[in-house]
Amino acid sequence: MNAALVIARKDLRQRVRDRSALVLGILAPLLIATVMSAAFGSAGSFHTTVGVVDQDRHELGAAFVAMLRSPDLSDVVTVRSVATPAEARRLVHDKKLGAAFVLPLGFTPAAHGTATARIEVLGSSDQAIAREVSAALAESFAAQVNADRLSVLTALATGTSAARTAHLIAASARLRLPVSTRSGDIGAKRLTAISYYAPSMGIFFMFFGIGFGARSYWLERRSGNLDRMLAAPVRPAEVLAGKALSTLVFGLASLLTMAVVTSVFFDAQWGPLPAAAALVFAIVLAAAALTALVAALARSERQADGVASTVTFALVLLGGNFVFVSSSPELLRRLALLTPNGWAMRGFVDLQSGAGASAAVQPVLAILAFTAVVAGAVALLARRPVSS
Amino acid sequence: MTTPAPLAVTAAALRRLVRDRTAMFFVVVLPVVVILIIGLTARGFDKLRVGVVVPDGSGPLATQLAEELGHDPTLTTTTYTDAAAARTGLRRGELVALVVLPRGYDTALAAGRPQQIGLLTSVQSSDQQAVGAAISAVVGRQAARVQAAHFASVQNGSGFGASLARATALQPGTTVVGVHTTLVDTGASTLPAGFSYSAPTMLVLFVFINALAGGAAIIQARQLGIHDRAMAAPITARTIVLGETLAALVLALLQSLLIVGIGAVVFGVHWGDPVAAATLVVVWALVGTGAGVLSGTVFRTPEQAGAIGPAIGIAFGMLGGCMWPLEIVTPLMRTVGHVVPHAWAVDAWTTLLSRGGDLASIARPLLVLAGMAVALLALSTLRLRARIVR
Repeated sequence: MNAALVIARKDLRQRVRDRSALVLGILAPLLIATVMSAAFGSAGSFHTTVGVVDQDRHELGAAFVAMLRSPDLSDVVTVRSVATPAEARRLVHDKKLGAAFVLPLGFTPAAHGTATARIEVLGSSDQAIAREVSAALAESFAAQVNADRLSVLTALATGTSAARTAHLIAASARLRLPVSTRSGDIGAKRLTAISYYAPSMGIFFMFFGIGFGARSYWLERRSGNLDRMLAAPVRPAEVLAGKALSTLVFGLASLLTMAVVTSVFFDAQWGPLPAAAALVFAIVLAAAALTALVAALARSERQADGVASTVTFALVLLGGNFVFVSSSPELLRRLALLTPNGWAMRGFVDLQSGAGASAAVQPVLAILAFTAVVAGAVALLARRPVSS
Repeated sequence: MTTPAPLAVTAAALRRLVRDRTAMFFVVVLPVVVILIIGLTARGFDKLRVGVVVPDGSGPLATQLAEELGHDPTLTTTTYTDAAAARTGLRRGELVALVVLPRGYDTALAAGRPQQIGLLTSVQSSDQQAVGAAISAVVGRQAARVQAAHFASVQNGSGFGASLARATALQPGTTVVGVHTTLVDTGASTLPAGFSYSAPTMLVLFVFINALAGGAAIIQARQLGIHDRAMAAPITARTIVLGETLAALVLALLQSLLIVGIGAVVFGVHWGDPVAAATLVVVWALVGTGAGVLSGTVFRTPEQAGAIGPAIGIAFGMLGGCMWPLEIVTPLMRTVGHVVPHAWAVDAWTTLLSRGGDLASIARPLLVLAGMAVALLALSTLRLRARIVR
């Protein structure tokens, strides 16, 4: 095992001198985390200003405006009166308003008669949420008016005499919809972009270490270094272990730097320390095992490069390092759990959203199981003769 | 007939590249897989993911409400019987809201007892209000039928069940107040969801990244002495520069064609006005070529170009709106983003794909990109020439 340590130490010294490794391991993830943090600086809660053009000037129009101005909605919308539909259009187009409502002339008489009255919502393509919220507010107002009318018609259709219509209308005006929604939250913590992308980009760039380690194994073979090492009482498995160990140290340094810098400067949440540390250590261990696997699988320096790139990108694509895997379709979410980095991201998302440190246990075990399988494969492959 | 010297240099450079299977993986396989994955993920951008908890033994009103939520065009729903699993989905951000129907929902409504439906939203989403409003609208429609059924049975003793069936039949024809949404503009300033989002952004991203990584081939040619040997032949440094630049351009164009072709055929992307799209592809390939040849003169080893190039490419892609629309970032970052060429290219693709733009409507981003391409090509070819003759 001593030989593995010596080889790892030599590799790490080389790695520090090789600036591209430092760039990939430390600078690139930090640069990208900075860009992301700046991009998503503040994500406040939703609030929009809506305009109302009340051409109706009757009781339904007034009731609609009163609903919009009710204290319940003051967190969501600020209401502004607008004189004409044309002006409302212009204000929405210029993004001065999130959306606008037009209550047309004759709205109340139409709603009380048999004609259809229409609330028009003016929205813009770029303010989809404001548009949808406004449409839904209009829909819920319409729901009560329509429910009252449906109540009268249903009573008439199921046997109430038409002579009692006036009574029914008066009675229905006092009705309130029997089903309502009660909002609440589940006490989860907010997942910020920086909290997701800090570990995901850290893992992505840390995986580049797989290529470095595997490639250097084959470089040593080409330069004859490996033959010289094997002339000493060193087994091939120890050489592979040395390469894996250097990836382990490089990966730990890279991910820990990322964790410290993003936590201190960008307020990224990595979760409770012991649990986050366990996840970091497990995923770095998996990368180390993968280094040995790629070195053992390849037959040349070029192949090592190719296999490492393929493995790295396959893992980061499937594991959700490029996309917020939670919002992916279920198939992709399941595929992510075939990769160690997918499990690591699952663990970080759980920790960051307040699931408690125990949420890291299953991901850590899954990553360790993956690592054990890879290490087993390496042990089998390492028995192959070294000379080509 | 002999091949002109610059083309022979180009052909040699391209042959070296095509034989490099790793490079081919990055040029051919990776972009397609990334377009697929990001396209699948970005598909649901326009739908809000909602979980509906329907407790075991719930009656037809509860089941019906879950179905109606599923039919709402703004929602995509998953029904759970296990509330704990649904809450975990909400916490992880897999759902933006959770509708929890109370036990005994049907019985209570039939008995005339008002019911409150739990609407749990996730702090992970900025869509809380939108989802709350959409759910309330669906709930309101069912509530209207229940209100009507109860009202009728009180008025004339017709019974809740019979009245409910009658109210359900009457509802579609009794809508007196409708809501109609009108758009005041003609198109969005973000790309459409799904593959029409991922294909153009990944074209911009990968053509640039592979061009930067392609700088490694120029450095390798220099290290292997290929340029020196070529200079022994009766050709000038300018010929080699032209040949290498052409090779980078051909590669960028081939990769663009591949992404455009696969995007159109496999993923059904409409790339917009063909003349404008073709011009944009060529100008972007020129930007990539300039950056790629420059990377071949700035980095010292192929490893550096292969390692640092993609990192720069990803960072530029993030700044320039390839990873997420610049519409959702802070105004300052939107301005900063336009320092890199990517933002201009994504702007132009957005005009073509979302607004049905033509060549004239993307003139401004095209001119900016052309300016950047000229500057990069001038700088890179001068530097490459200097490196060859040195």
